[in-house]
Amino acid sequence: MIQALGAVYKQIPPGIRPYAKNTFVWGTLRSQAVAGRRAIGRGRRVEFLDFEIAHLEPFEFLGPGPRDVQVAAAFSTVSPGTERAVLCGLPGARRPFPYVPGYSVAGTVTKAGRASGFTVGQPVAGRMGHASDGIMTPASLFAVPEGVDLLEASYIEIGIICLQGIRKAGIRPGDRVAVLGQGLIGQMATRLARAVGASPIVALAMSRRRARSAVGAHGADTFVAIAEDPGALTALGADIVIEAVGTSKAIVQAMGAVRPGGTVVLLGSSRDLGRDLDWRDIAQQRRVRLVGAHISIMPAKDASPGSWTYAQEGRLFLELLRTGQLHVADLTTWRASPTACNQVYEVVAQGGADQVGIVFDWHAGPGDAATRREGIGAR
Amino acid sequence: MTATEPLKVAAIGAGGIAQRNATETARSGAATIVGVLDVNMKAARDLAGKLKARVFASYDEVLGSPDVEAVLLSTPHDLHCEQTLAAARAGKHVLVEKPLATTLEDAERMIAACRTAGVQLAVNYSFRYLPKIQKAKELVREGALGDITGIQVIAHQFKDLGYWMGARSTSPDDWRSLKARSGGGFLMMNVCHTIDYLYFITGMRGTRVYAEYANLASPGDVEDIISVSCRWGDRAIGSICASSILRGADTAEERIWGTKGTLVINESGLSMYSTRPVDGKRPGRLHAYRTFPDVSWTAAWVRDFVTAVRTGTTPPVGAREAWENLAFLESAYASLTAGPVTIPECPQW
Repeated sequence: MIQALGAVYKQIPPGIRPYAKNTFVWGTLRSQAVAGRRAIGRGRRVEFLDFEIAHLEPFEFLGPGPRDVQVAAAFSTVSPGTERAVLCGLPGARRPFPYVPGYSVAGTVTKAGRASGFTVGQPVAGRMGHASDGIMTPASLFAVPEGVDLLEASYIEIGIICLQGIRKAGIRPGDRVAVLGQGLIGQMATRLARAVGASPIVALAMSRRRARSAVGAHGADTFVAIAEDPGALTALGADIVIEAVGTSKAIVQAMGAVRPGGTVVLLGSSRDLGRDLDWRDIAQQRRVRLVGAHISIMPAKDASPGSWTYAQEGRLFLELLRTGQLHVADLTTWRASPTACNQVYEVVAQGGADQVGIVFDWHAGPGDAATRREGIGAR
Repeated sequence: MTATEPLKVAAIGAGGIAQRNATETARSGAATIVGVLDVNMKAARDLAGKLKARVFASYDEVLGSPDVEAVLLSTPHDLHCEQTLAAARAGKHVLVEKPLATTLEDAERMIAACRTAGVQLAVNYSFRYLPKIQKAKELVREGALGDITGIQVIAHQFKDLGYWMGARSTSPDDWRSLKARSGGGFLMMNVCHTIDYLYFITGMRGTRVYAEYANLASPGDVEDIISVSCRWGDRAIGSICASSILRGADTAEERIWGTKGTLVINESGLSMYSTRPVDGKRPGRLHAYRTFPDVSWTAAWVRDFVTAVRTGTTPPVGAREAWENLAFLESAYASLTAGPVTIPECPQW
């Protein structure tokens, strides 16, 4: 069916293909709405129109099914590594455009499927694109406990990504942990390592541009800028190093920073190939244990002590927030209006500058371009 | 004299472009043509009649007339220098057809003379006032292109043999075809406008240049084909491909691109592609600007000049712009034998 449609599509002159596609989507959505007796919702969402171009676009979506909820977003958090990879067409992340980025949202239920177990007005968090409104399905939908701020809850997917890595790291109280890479994933991992008792925690990054939110009561004890002191890495001798960069160079650095017999957790989404590595020296002789820890390998159902399900980690993340064992609000360095998404993703495409947590605030009206950067100056 | 009083201008030259310059000057509302001078008395009389102006018998008479505040020089390039020097000595402001002079040395004498005499000098790079050029400037200012990285100029047309011999002029003369009189061929005669408005749009100047050029199919000794490689600012790279002997596929197009977008300027108007939502346009699409106000760019240039005269400010297309344009042209010509030439910076006067 898809191949047949594709063949027909290619017969259409390129100039009118977008209109034909829009018409097809428009008709299909309405057919589905009629057939499923579901409403059609409308909202605005961030779309990547092409390489390094983001824009806020109107869109329509099918209303919630019996087990789904329709959500009005309050906040959506940018996952900089993944979203930048798609935006820039990096290896392993090439997607057709337009592309709808985002997967970490908190908001309130505006329509609840009859079997969803949720009620209108209930605060929820889960997977959804950067959109004013949309659907969350049971597989990635969490009730936000009372007392948890929606801004913090919007970090849920980032929290799950990091929690499964922290779990696989097997951190014990008193372990000396280093976290390499101080982007959002690195800083979230640092805070979760703190929550499970690691001490001391060393934040590692090439430069100090993101040091402000990396160190402190909720974060690392010390910060090492590798560019300033390349020798500091091998002197660390950490029990566990969490690699949160996603490059082969960083993985090698992480293996250099761990003590003999220690563990390196690969939390970053690797997007390149390491070549000409002397595995004997960097790993074998030092008995380094490498642990793959990507969110995509989480079990769907059968959990074990070292590997919880997505749902378990999500509930734990919210519980850690509720009990005050985890604080993430101060990771937010840029609270942006969705209308400023083009500027936001320009910064993201260029490596994120000194940003850590970039959060779209969907409370603002369509014409409100208000945006606040917590840590850096205007473009 | 009030700030709004029309400037009294004498039109020097009554040939093809001179007629247009004088007419648009009169239409500007900021100036009046008080008299016309030309070597061809009939041409002078005809133009003066249209503009209800007198006919001057000589340049000395023009410069001696208390009715004349400024001269509008639409004469062969090699006459610009001496005519400007004389006008400055007589205390007359000078509007001069492009290029300012045939050499930088002459240009500097002209600029110095006007400064010494306290008169204003402007060169007719009035294409800057074309609405599409103004729009292009605005889009660049709004960040449509990001950091400019490349500039490409294609200028192809066919100039018939008669063009070089002055067949279209009221006073046929082959000065255009002779480097000693014109300073150069197609680049200096026509593409100089493009170079000027690229300076204007981008806010950048050419810094290094290398050119290949020749006269392959035209009379005289000026180039009728030229290819220029150029560095813009300290970063951007550009090329100019220009020829006046290309038949059947006239093209005049400039492409300016940067880290965030592209502008294309051609006969159809202006097109913009930007990754940013500039000018209320959706990013990621090529947007065409096809309709522009029908305005006289020459009249706009004159109005700004008159304002500068009346207020004692620097005209927008003044000595600096004229000098920098000529510096580009002269460096391009010199590079054929000298190799890549660093274009000199404009001195501080």
